[in-house]
Amino acid sequence: MNLIDFLRKNVENHGDKVAIIDNHKEITFFQLYGEVEKFSNNIEILNQEKIISLVSENSISFIIAYLGIINSGKIVHLISPEISEMNLFNQLKSSESKNIICNQLMKNKISNFDSIKTTIFEIEEILLKHNNKKVKSNANELAYLIYTSGTTSEPKGVTVSHSMIEFTTKNIVKMLGYSSSDIDLLPLPLNHSFGLGCIHTSLYVGSTLVLLKNASNLEEILESLKKYKITTLAVIPATLTKILNFKNKKIKKYFSQIRLIITNSTAIPKKTVIQYKEILKKGNLATYYGLTEASRSTFMIFDKNNQREESVGKCSPNVKIEIVNEEKNNLKIGDILIKGDNVIKKYWNNIEADKNIFDGWLKTGDTGYFDKEGYLFLKGRSDEIINVGGEKVMPIEIEQSVKNISGVEDAVAFGIVHEVFGQTIKLNVIKSKNSDIDKSQILSHCIKNLEKFKIPSKIDFVEKIPKTDYGKVKRFMLK
Amino acid sequence: MNNEHESKEIIKNIFFEVFPNLDKNDFSWEKEQKDYENWDSFAQLNLITFAEAKFNISLTLEESIEIKSANDLLKIVEQYLA
Repeated sequence: MNLIDFLRKNVENHGDKVAIIDNHKEITFFQLYGEVEKFSNNIEILNQEKIISLVSENSISFIIAYLGIINSGKIVHLISPEISEMNLFNQLKSSESKNIICNQLMKNKISNFDSIKTTIFEIEEILLKHNNKKVKSNANELAYLIYTSGTTSEPKGVTVSHSMIEFTTKNIVKMLGYSSSDIDLLPLPLNHSFGLGCIHTSLYVGSTLVLLKNASNLEEILESLKKYKITTLAVIPATLTKILNFKNKKIKKYFSQIRLIITNSTAIPKKTVIQYKEILKKGNLATYYGLTEASRSTFMIFDKNNQREESVGKCSPNVKIEIVNEEKNNLKIGDILIKGDNVIKKYWNNIEADKNIFDGWLKTGDTGYFDKEGYLFLKGRSDEIINVGGEKVMPIEIEQSVKNISGVEDAVAFGIVHEVFGQTIKLNVIKSKNSDIDKSQILSHCIKNLEKFKIPSKIDFVEKIPKTDYGKVKRFMLK
Repeated sequence: MNNEHESKEIIKNIFFEVFPNLDKNDFSWEKEQKDYENWDSFAQLNLITFAEAKFNISLTLEESIEIKSANDLLKIVEQYLA
């Protein structure tokens, strides 16, 4: 089954049901299928191309275009609307895409990029064409291509196949209990594995998807929960933490009918998890661990009886995870390797990156360990390790500890050059609103909770920590 | 600006934070690094980091290396605060 099969199943079962709501617009499964077919037929002009780039803000049109390109048997190259000219140039060159499909706003933006000579088509213009000629699609094994955000290294092209999508979607549904009666609120960008996985899941079970442009307007998210009688919400941890700044009574009221909040594996502060356990009377907060290369490899449901607030959960069905270390012991920290039908076979035109895949195992670059009950705990990226005088320190451990201090909104730890130790730890901290916390209070907390070689040697209070759309820290930008 | 008494209190408290097993009665301004059970290079770094944060100063590497007792740290801090 591919995504178009998911859609067809919904047309047969409940074609008149609303599939997507986007502000004042809504579309039924029947209408969505019709628009997708029309889109596929109308991009006949691009028939020789095997890959088409797509860039747009969240909208029904975006989903029509995404499914339409797939329906025509081509690979969708998904691009962030925030992309820089240089990054776009590099991605187009690497992907060998000759055409960009986008909304009007993006067309205006890209048209001003002098280095971009690629042909640009507007989604709405394509949909207005009248082409009754049915295009025969040659199903492609691959569905989409995403260039990873590159938090620590050069972006790599990751191609995701239809079979990977099917495997992952079924695991999501099995582990998180999605059904056709759900109404899913999605304020995530759709050019990323997290947001796409949510679309795929809604299409698979036939639930209604409510799209928001982004998660910057917290009031809009809360009001949408009430307005649309939302049952599931997908957001990054930072959004969840920010929502906690509202009055507890108000939050509880808005979240009273929520059965599931799903977030991604960017470290969630323990105190945030504990607070949502209290807030969600009829549901659970859940997270997962995954990469674009190996989506949803674990799942963690933070139920009241499980005190592992810092775990990303157990392996997904039919996914294997191994911890590689000198001790050959999964219970000790080591490099995380993943194998399963959710793992890519190879990167896009990148022989060097392909060295991270062998015998079906993907070397993730993440480190972690399992506890005795099989719960995975992440300890950071192997290339983020700080070496303080020979002692290896994972930034995440310091960050998690400091984020638990009252008055700290966010924190990031990283290595700085030191004449004696080689490296020591620097900590950049964002204070909570109205917080008067000072550096010595943070140090006092650290010395009580961390080993002495993990104590930051320098602390700065900052206004912002550079992050990707999905909340991953851009470590190469830290100073 | 801290006066000498305040500076002394702050430095004493730094030592109790960095050496949580240090008994109040065992603290001495003259007691040297070699007489502390766990004053290693990391503890040295932590003493300096705390002092820099508490007094809003920045010690040079040479000054940092010279510190072998609470009294040494006090003298350097006082130089900065003078």
